[in-house]
Amino acid sequence: MSDFAEAAVALSPQNSPGWLGELQQQGRNEWQVTPLPTRKTEAWKYTSLHPLSSGDFLRWAPAKNKFTDVNRLRPFYAIEGLDAARLVFINGHFNAALSSSDFAEGLEVLRFAEADEAQRQVIQESLGSIADRSEHPFAALNDSWIEEGLFIRVAANTRIDKPLHVIYLTTEQAEAFSVQQRLFVELESGAELSLIEHFASTEEAQNSFTNALTELRLQANARLHHYRLQLEEEQALHIGGVHVDLQRDALYDGFHLGLGGRLKRIDVVVNHNGSGAHCDLNGVYLPRHEQHIDYHTCIEHRVPHCTTEENFRGIIGERARAVFNGRIHIHKDAQKTNAQLNNRNLLTSREAEIDTKPELEIYADDVQCAHGATIAQLEEKSLYYLQSRGIARREAEVMLSFGFINELINRVNEPALQDYLRPILSELFVEDAR
Amino acid sequence: MLSIKDLHASVSGKEILKGLSLEVKPGEVHAIMGPNGSGKSTLGHVLSGRDNYEATSGSVEFLGKDLLAMEDIEERAREGLFLAFQYPVEIPGVSNMEFLKASVDAVREHRGEEPMDSIQFMKLAREKCKAVNLDDKFLKRGVNEGFSGGEKKRNELMQMMLLEPKLAILDETDSGLDIDALQVVAEGVNAMRNKERSFVLVTHYQRLLDYIQPDVVHVLADGRIVKTGDKNLALELEEKGYGWIEQEVA
Amino acid sequence: MAETQIDERLKSDYEAGFVTDIESETLPPGLNQEVIEFISNKKNEPDWLLEWRLRAYEQWREMQEPQWAHVHYPKVDFDALSYYSAPKGVGEGPKSLDEVDPELLRTYEKLGIPLHEQEVLAGVAVDAVFDSVSVTTTFREKLHEAGVIFCPISEAVHEYPELIKTYLGSVVPQRDNFYAALNSAVFSDGSFVYIPKGVRCPMELSTYFRINEAKTGQFERTLIIADEGSYVSYLEGCTAPMRDENQLHAAVVELVALKDAEIKYSTVQNWYPGDSEGKGGIYNFVTKRGVCHDNAKISWTQVETGSAVTWKYPSVVLRGDNSTGEFYSVALTNNYQQADTGTKMIHMGKNTSSTIVSKGISAGKSQNAYRGLVRMGPNAENARNYTQCDSMLIGDACGAHTFPYIESKNPSAVVEHEASTSKVSEDQLYLCRQRGLDPEKAVSLIVNGFCKEVFRELPMEFAVEAGKLLEVSLEGSVG
Repeated sequence: MSDFAEAAVALSPQNSPGWLGELQQQGRNEWQVTPLPTRKTEAWKYTSLHPLSSGDFLRWAPAKNKFTDVNRLRPFYAIEGLDAARLVFINGHFNAALSSSDFAEGLEVLRFAEADEAQRQVIQESLGSIADRSEHPFAALNDSWIEEGLFIRVAANTRIDKPLHVIYLTTEQAEAFSVQQRLFVELESGAELSLIEHFASTEEAQNSFTNALTELRLQANARLHHYRLQLEEEQALHIGGVHVDLQRDALYDGFHLGLGGRLKRIDVVVNHNGSGAHCDLNGVYLPRHEQHIDYHTCIEHRVPHCTTEENFRGIIGERARAVFNGRIHIHKDAQKTNAQLNNRNLLTSREAEIDTKPELEIYADDVQCAHGATIAQLEEKSLYYLQSRGIARREAEVMLSFGFINELINRVNEPALQDYLRPILSELFVEDAR
Repeated sequence: MLSIKDLHASVSGKEILKGLSLEVKPGEVHAIMGPNGSGKSTLGHVLSGRDNYEATSGSVEFLGKDLLAMEDIEERAREGLFLAFQYPVEIPGVSNMEFLKASVDAVREHRGEEPMDSIQFMKLAREKCKAVNLDDKFLKRGVNEGFSGGEKKRNELMQMMLLEPKLAILDETDSGLDIDALQVVAEGVNAMRNKERSFVLVTHYQRLLDYIQPDVVHVLADGRIVKTGDKNLALELEEKGYGWIEQEVA
Repeated sequence: MAETQIDERLKSDYEAGFVTDIESETLPPGLNQEVIEFISNKKNEPDWLLEWRLRAYEQWREMQEPQWAHVHYPKVDFDALSYYSAPKGVGEGPKSLDEVDPELLRTYEKLGIPLHEQEVLAGVAVDAVFDSVSVTTTFREKLHEAGVIFCPISEAVHEYPELIKTYLGSVVPQRDNFYAALNSAVFSDGSFVYIPKGVRCPMELSTYFRINEAKTGQFERTLIIADEGSYVSYLEGCTAPMRDENQLHAAVVELVALKDAEIKYSTVQNWYPGDSEGKGGIYNFVTKRGVCHDNAKISWTQVETGSAVTWKYPSVVLRGDNSTGEFYSVALTNNYQQADTGTKMIHMGKNTSSTIVSKGISAGKSQNAYRGLVRMGPNAENARNYTQCDSMLIGDACGAHTFPYIESKNPSAVVEHEASTSKVSEDQLYLCRQRGLDPEKAVSLIVNGFCKEVFRELPMEFAVEAGKLLEVSLEGSVG
C-alpha cells in the first residue's frame, strides 16, 4: 500500500501556481504524515484498500471524451420527471453542454475555475473547514489533488424549489483514472435546498477511482435535503466523505444509497454545532456478487438540545460483504440530546457477510440514546402469509426484500426520485431471485 | 396542623403562588378547587419541597414546626407529610414491595421505631392492596412500571395507607378515574380519617366530594385563595363553572 | 501500625483495604528467564511445564500491550514488579489448616471468608489464594467422595499431569494476547477443578483471591474441566489492600465444558479501586474464556465494582452444536475508575445460542465501556444471539460507552442487539424522597433495580453481597 501512498504524493499537482496551491500543499503534508489505513486501523478493520494498491488509478482522465455526442450519456443519469437544475461532471471534468446555465434567484453556483478574486477568498476559507483531514486521510488526498470543484450557496431565507442535481459520471477509458470530486454547499440562515449527488457510470466503464469529498454548512434554521446516490458499475472504486456542519435549529435530512463495488467506502460525519439542530439520516446498502461496501457514520453531538434519528438497512447477497459502523458521540456539554440509531440487515446467501458495529460514546448524563442492530432473514411468517395468498416463494422473497428497503425509500421527499429508484432496486432483487 | 400565611412561591423563577393563606386543623378535610393553571399542583410541590419550587416569602407551619426550614424532601416526608402525585413516575426494576419496605423503614426509623420484619410487612402490604382493590401481584412489579393510570393512583393510595401520614395532600388523585376507582379512593381516604389526621384534596372536579365530605372548600385562582365555603361551594362551582368566581374577584 | 489500619478502615468505603502484617518471601522486582526458572523450581515443576513457560515468555517479549481499549493509564513498568510472593511457611506442598499462619486465617475471617470448615457456609468449598499461592482448600474430603477434584493448580500439575497437559492453554493459547502470554510465563497458582462424567458437583466451589504484598503482580491461573454430562457452579471473589501505587492483576481462566456439561462461573470482583482522587488501585487485565462442546453450556455472571482499570472480556467459544453461552454483567465505576469490559460469543456450531445482558453504571469521573463481539461463523446454522446493553449515568462528569462488534457469515443466524442509556431521573428521586428515603438509599434502590436481571443469575449469598457492594461503591456519588 505504501506504493499507493508515495505515488499519490509524487503524482499530485506539484508547486501549482494556482490559488489552490496552498490547500494542495497542506493536503500533501497531512497525507505524508498519516499512515495509510490498514486492517489494524480500527476504522478500517473490515475494509481493505488492496484494490488501490497498485497506484494505477492516480492519473486524470483526458478532458476530451471519445463520445462526440454527449447526449448519448444522458440515459445513464437522467431521472425522469425530475424538474431540477443540473450540473454534470464527466470523468471529473465539468461538462457545460449537459449542465444548466441559469439558476433560481438566491442560488449561487460557482465552479472553482470560474471564481474571481473575492470568490476565491471565500472558497479558500470554506474548503476543509468542516472535514477533519487528520481523521480522514482521503480528505487529505482530495486536498492534495484539488483542481476542480463546486461551491454552492443559497441566500438567507431563500427556499430553492427545484432540486439541484449534481451528476458525476464515469465512462469507459483506456487507462485507469481518478476522479477527485469536491463540493462545498453553504446554506445561509433560513435557506432551504434539495441536493441530489448522483454517482453513475456508463455500461462499459470499469476502471475509475472516485475520491469524493462533500462539505455541507447549514447556518441557523437552514434545511437541506441531501440525497447521495452511488449507482456506479461494480468495478468502480469509490471512497467518499460527507461532512455536515449544523448550526442552531438547522435540519439535515440525508438519504444515502449505495450499491456495492470492488471497494466502496463512505464516511458520513454530522456535527451538531448549534442547539436545536436535527439530523435525520437514512441509508440503504445493497452489495451483491463479490462486492464490498462500507458505510461509516459518525454523529457528533457537541451542544445541548439536538436530536438525531438514524436508520440504515442493508441486504447482502451472494458473496458480498457489507460493513456498517454507526457512531454516536455525545460530548460533555451536549445535555438533553436525543439520539437513536437503528441498523437492520438481511443476509441472503451462505457466502455473504455483514459486520456491523453501532457505537455509543456518551459523556453527558441527561440524554436519551439508544441503538439497535439486527441481522436476520425475511420473516417466515410473512413469507407464509404471502404464499398462502398464492404468491410463489421466490416472488414473496422479492416482495419482502423490496419492502424492507422501500420503507426507507418512502422517506425520500422527491417523488420523482422515489419513482426512479424503485425499479432499479426491485430489478436488483428480481435478478437475485433468478 | 398546617398553617400557611401569605405564601408566595415561584417555579423556576416564575411566581405562581401570590399570597396564599390556609389553615388546616387536625382531623379536617379541605378541598382545594380551581381552574387549570391556578397553582393547585404547585402548592403540593412547594409544601413537599421539590427542587425548583421555591417559597419566596410567607410562612408555613406544620405541626408546630417551620416547614420551609426543613431542607430535604425526605425530612418533610418523615415528619408526616404525604403527597399523592398527579403523575406518579415509573421506576423500572425496583419492585413495589422493596420500595415500600425501604420507605416505611425510613419513616419508622425517624419516629424512633424498629424496622418491621419482612413477613409482618408483607402481610400488611397485602392487606392494604386489598383495601384499594389492587391485586397483590402489583407488589412484585416495578414501582408504577406499566401500571394503568388508575392503578398508579391506587398504588399511591396504598402507599399512603402504609406510611400513615399526619397530613396527606392528594394532587388530583381523582383525575382520570372511572366511578368505581373513584369510590375505592374515597373509601380509602374515609377509612383513614381520624381526629389527628388531616387531608388536603386538590381537585378539578366536584364529584370526588360526593364521596368524601370535606369540612372546608377553597377556590384557588391566580395563586390565591379567593373564596372559602362549605361543600355547597363545590356544588355551586360545578353548576356555574369557575368564570363567575374569577369575575367576582376581578 | 494496627491503630492506623483501623483508622484507615473507618475512614474508607473500601472495607477490604487492610494490609496483613505477615512475613513473606518475595522475589526482587524484574522479569527474566531466571525468575521463571525460580518460580518453576519453587513449585518443583516438571520440565515440560518450565519449557511451556519459557516459550510463553519468548512470545510475550515480542508482543505489544494492547492499545485499543477505552482506558488510559501510565505504562506499566514490568521490570518494577515482583513476580512471586508467598506468605512464609506456606510455600510448598499441601498442608492442613493447623499449619497455616493464624494471621492469614484472620485475614480471611475479616473478609468474611472463614476457612475452618465447621464455620463455613454449608455447601461452599473454598480455595483461598493469597498473593501468589493457594493457602488452603476446604471440604476436599467431601468433594473427593463425589470424585470432584478441587485443588491448587500447582498441586494438580503433580497429581493430575495428564489433565493439565491436555487442557492447559487449550482455551487461551499462550500467545492469545499480551497479558495471557505474561500469565503463561509467570503464573504462580490458582484453582483447578475437574468434575467427572455425569457428576453434579455436590456444592458450590469458590476461590477467594487476595493480593496483599506491595509491588507484586498477581498472576493466577484457573482451569475448570467439566466432563461429559457434569455440572459445576463456581464462585470467585477478589479483594486487595489499599495502596497508593497501582498493582497488576493479570489472570487467565480457562473453562472446558465437554459434551452435555454445564459450567456456571460467577465473579464478585472488588479489587481496590483506588481512592477518590484516583490514586492507587488494581490494574485488572484478565483473560477468561470457555469452550463449549456439543449441548454444553457456559454461563459467566460478573459483578464488578473494583479495580482502577479493568480490561476483561469473559468469552465463550460455542464449538459444539446446540451449545449455549451466557454473559450477565454489572460493571460499576465511580471516582476515576475506568472499565473496558464485555464479552465475546463465537458461534461455530449449529443451533448455538448466546445471551448477553450487560449493565454499566458510571458515576463520579469514571469511564465505563462495554465492548463485545458476536461472531456467527459460516457453519453456525440457526444460531441465535440476543444482546442487551444498558448504561446508567449518575452525574455529568462520567462517560458510558458501547462498542459492540457484530459479524455474521451465516444467513440463517439471527443477531439482535439493543443498547440504551438512562440516568437516575429527578422525578424518580423526588418520588422516593417524598416517601421518606434519603437520596443515597433512593439511588441504590434504583440502581439495584437496574441490575436485577443480572443479580438474578447469581447464587443467593452472592446476590446479597453484590447488592451491598453496589451501595458501598456508590457512596458519595449523589448530592
